[in-house]
Formats: sequence, structure tokens, C-alpha cells
Amino acid sequence: MYGTHQSGRNIPFDYQSQVISYRPSIHSRRANLTVKFQDLYGFTVEGNVDDVNVLNEVREKVRQQGRVWWALEASKGANWYLETHVSSTLKASLRFSAIANAVTLKRLIRKGIPPVWRPKVWFTLSGAAKKKSTVPESYYSDLIKATEGKVTAATKQIDHDLPRTFPGHPWLDTPQGHASLRRVLVVYSFRDSYVGYCQGLNYVAALLLLVMKTEEDAFWMLAVLLENVLVNDCYTNNLTGCHVEQRVFKDLLAKKCPKISAHLEDLEFDVSLVATEWFLCLFSKSLPSETTLRVWDILFYEGAKVLFHVALAVFKMNEDQLLLTQQVGDVINILQRTTHHLFDPDELLEVAFDKIGSMTTNTISKGRKKLEPEVMAELDERLRRLNSLKEEEN
Amino acid sequence: MATIGHSNINAKLVLLGDMGAGKSSLVLRFVKGQFLEFQESTIGAAFFSQTLAVNDATVKFEIWDTAGQERYHSLAPMYYRGAAAAIIVYDMTNAGSFARAKKWVQELQKQGNPNMVMALAGNKVDLEEKRSVSAEEARSYAEENGLFFMETSAKTATNVNDIFYEIAKRLPRAQPPQNPAGMVLVDRPTEAARASTCCS
Repeated sequence: MYGTHQSGRNIPFDYQSQVISYRPSIHSRRANLTVKFQDLYGFTVEGNVDDVNVLNEVREKVRQQGRVWWALEASKGANWYLETHVSSTLKASLRFSAIANAVTLKRLIRKGIPPVWRPKVWFTLSGAAKKKSTVPESYYSDLIKATEGKVTAATKQIDHDLPRTFPGHPWLDTPQGHASLRRVLVVYSFRDSYVGYCQGLNYVAALLLLVMKTEEDAFWMLAVLLENVLVNDCYTNNLTGCHVEQRVFKDLLAKKCPKISAHLEDLEFDVSLVATEWFLCLFSKSLPSETTLRVWDILFYEGAKVLFHVALAVFKMNEDQLLLTQQVGDVINILQRTTHHLFDPDELLEVAFDKIGSMTTNTISKGRKKLEPEVMAELDERLRRLNSLKEEEN
Repeated sequence: MATIGHSNINAKLVLLGDMGAGKSSLVLRFVKGQFLEFQESTIGAAFFSQTLAVNDATVKFEIWDTAGQERYHSLAPMYYRGAAAAIIVYDMTNAGSFARAKKWVQELQKQGNPNMVMALAGNKVDLEEKRSVSAEEARSYAEENGLFFMETSAKTATNVNDIFYEIAKRLPRAQPPQNPAGMVLVDRPTEAARASTCCS
């Protein structure tokens, strides 16, 4: 069934061929300076020689995970991971194997889906495949044709952002890359004109393109993300959903990391100052690519709660340092330095799950429900005040 | 809010303006002396700090470079709250961005810190042949509204350091005591902390 996905526009960029083990040049070895190198997905990153070593270890771990996935397919059969939903029509014995598979799968996904497996595993487990199956086969290409040459506020903003989305990337920042990203974003802006185009989606869609390899699958991943995985209205007018998530996050920080939360409050540091970008770009602008995608592996299987786990972990990992800060700038520098250098995804995810402790999707939903009226009232109040400014002017 | 400490001033500065006006480019030019033809679009906001020496003081700017898309407007208060200075940026080749700049000025006048030093920057002055906002129009608007005005180019560095330097000079050197300074004081009333949520 996966063969059919390949009929879409294929993306020639192949990160496999870009995987080059980094060897420090004579100059950098001599001076032990910051060096630039390419990561698994072709992004140029800056780091020291230690970072390069970590990244090489991550590559090795990714290869090992690949062997695990191949072995599982060999023993359990192709697409075994699809048989994780317990259906009442199944016989008892089958049901047991489904539960066993689900347990294996969750554990396995937390350890990371190997890059070659990501497209098909994401596509099926996220619900994108199901979403796609509810519309005619030609849906995406029909929408491309229908939107060709149309100019809207959204298309203008998309065009403006294309060269500003991961500039310098060996595939994204080419005419082909721009054209693919443009089609995905433009088609989506027509699919949901309420969302239209929101800055931030450019980064998310770009990374989806790199992973999914075909434009059409990237489009469906974007659709399932906005329509099913993330909180409602995250990217719509006023970013209401995003405001709600920030408030939920603040509450969770106070609960899970009370010392940090109290200290930052003393500094008048609003955690949304930094966390807004994390939640809107799903960490794609702050974490190294493979680390971001490891977060997304969990996002597409377990849901948006992983974003809270990870955001809390970034604070938690720096607890001692953060408690010593006296200025907002220091807080931000610590957080930025950490996120940019988290080349080892396991380092982050261990804290996110083991140290932060369990949070259910239900906890988060309850938090949202509780805080939503407050957030809406504040946004309305602000809007009312701004409108009254206008009236005074007139 | 600017704070005094042995002629060291910490000042929170916010950049506001339309998408693509060049806010991030101005900051990059000022902080790193660099210019990128295609600057990554800013989401939420980006933070930078830079220190400037003016005649009688050292000013450390804590700069918040905000996202320009209209829907991000609802996030802006958390960035301009307690700011000692603001640069409102428009693209002088785009009249729409000038209209947006005026809206920002209006909002800051009503909702911002009353002592805020405000600058209006007509950016991309290197693209003179595409100009659609005249310097006279912008200057008289700025004068009427108590802002100072400069035309800048992040690309050629024209007036970039100057605008920050001018702000540094204009920052109030002493703060009224009833107006507790935000960033560095720890012993403020807790009410102020509670007020600093994200969307007032």
C-alpha cells in the first residue's frame, strides 16, 4: 500500500547521501574552535568537537534502531505496528498480540523511529492515512490545480517566507524546495481558510517535507497535525489555542518545577517569552533536527502532551543554573544554549519522561478546559480596549 | 524599564512592525554587524542583548525582536510590557507597513510604559528607487507623536547604530520610585508579578 504514496511529487533530497562523518579540519583541530557541519537532515549546525562526536554517536544509535525495526518486521510481519488497536471483532488470542504489539510499539517509538521508517510509520499511526482515504485519490493534485495563479493574503505571506525558511539548507533553499513548500502551504491555506497561513507553519511543513519525501504525504501530515494532533485554534486568528497552551504550560511548570517557577516569577520572566516559539514551531527552530524529529515521533503516536514534557525538561535540565540567574537575559541564554546543543535526543527524552513524571492527555485536556475561559476573556478585553482606541481616534 | 546602577543602565527594548519590514535585520546588524539577504522569519520573538557606551553611562539593551504577522499581535503585550524603549519599524517601499507602524504607535501610547522612548525607523532606505513613503510624511508624523525618526538600512548599515545610540542617549537617567523597574529588581510587590501574564 505504501507504493502508492510514491506516485506523488518525489523529493529528490536524500539525507542518506548527505550523511558524512565529520572529520575536523587541521585548523579546527589546532584551534579547537566552533566548527560547522551538516547533520542527518542536511542542516548546517555549529558546535565544538564534542558536539560532533555526540552527533556521530547518534548516527550509530539510529543505525542500531534501524536494525531493531528490520528484525521486528522479519519476526512479526510487515506493518505489524498497525495491529496495535484492539478491535472487538478480533479473537482473544489476536487481541493479546495486539496489546503486546502496542506495548512494544510505544517503547520502541520513545526510542526513536529510524529515518527510513518515519514516512510510513508516521503516515499510518498519526491518522494521516485515514484522513487521506476519506477523499478522492486526486484531492491534492486537484487542489494544486484549483489554486494555481490565485493570489490571497496567505499566498503573499507564504511567498515572502519561502526564502526565509531554513535558508541555506541544501534542498529546502533551492527553487525546487521553495516550490514544494509553497504548494503544501498554499494548498493547506485553501483547505482551511480559517487558518490560512500562519508563520511558524513554514518551518513545520519544511521539516515534514524532508521526512516524508513526498509532497502529498507532507501535506496530509500537516493536515492531521493541525486538525487532530494539536489543540484547536493553535494557528488561527489571535492564536487562541497557543495562548491556552502557554497558560497550561505555566501551571504545569509551577507544579512540576516549583522552585524554577517561583524564581522566574521573581525575575518577572514570563516563560511564554521563550516557550511560544517552541509550541508554534514544535521545537523545529530550537532543537537540532534529529532531536526535533524524535519529539515528533512521540507527538504523532502519543499526542501533544509530549510538547509539555519536552518544554518542562528543558527547564528541568537547567534547574541549578536557572536558580542562580539574576537577569532575564541570562535565563534566555541558558535555555537557548541548551536547546541548540541537544544533539543527543535521549538526553532530553530521559528527562522529559523519567524526571518530569507521567502526565496524562486527560490532565492536559482538563487544564485546557479550566484555563480557556480566562484566556478568551483576556483576549476579548484586550481587543475591546484596542477597538476603543480606534473609536477615540475617529 | 531602565534601571540605574553606577551609570549602568539596563533597558528593555522592543521592535515592532509589519512582517518583512526588517526588524530582525536591524537587530542582526546592530548586534553582530551582519546582514543576511534572507533572514529567517521570527516566530514569537527573539532575544538579543548588546551594550552601548554613551557619554555618561553604559547601556545594556535587552532586545526583543517580535514576529510581524498580524495574528501575532496578541502576543505583543508580553514583549512591550515594561519596555524602556521601542523601535517601530516600517519598510519605506511599502505604504501598508507604514500604516501598520502608526497602529503600533497608537497602541504603545495607550498601553505602553508612559516614559517609553519611541523611535520610528523607515527601513530599506537603500531601495530609494522603490520608495513609497516620503521622509517628510514620516518625519512630521513622528514629530506630532513624540517619536524620533530615522531612515535606516540594515543592508548598508545606514543609521543602524545611530538609532540605538540615540535611544540610549534619550533614556531617562533616573526612574520615578513609584514605577518599579522590571527586570533586575527582585524585591517588588508580588502583585506586579501576578500582573505579568501573557495577554493583558
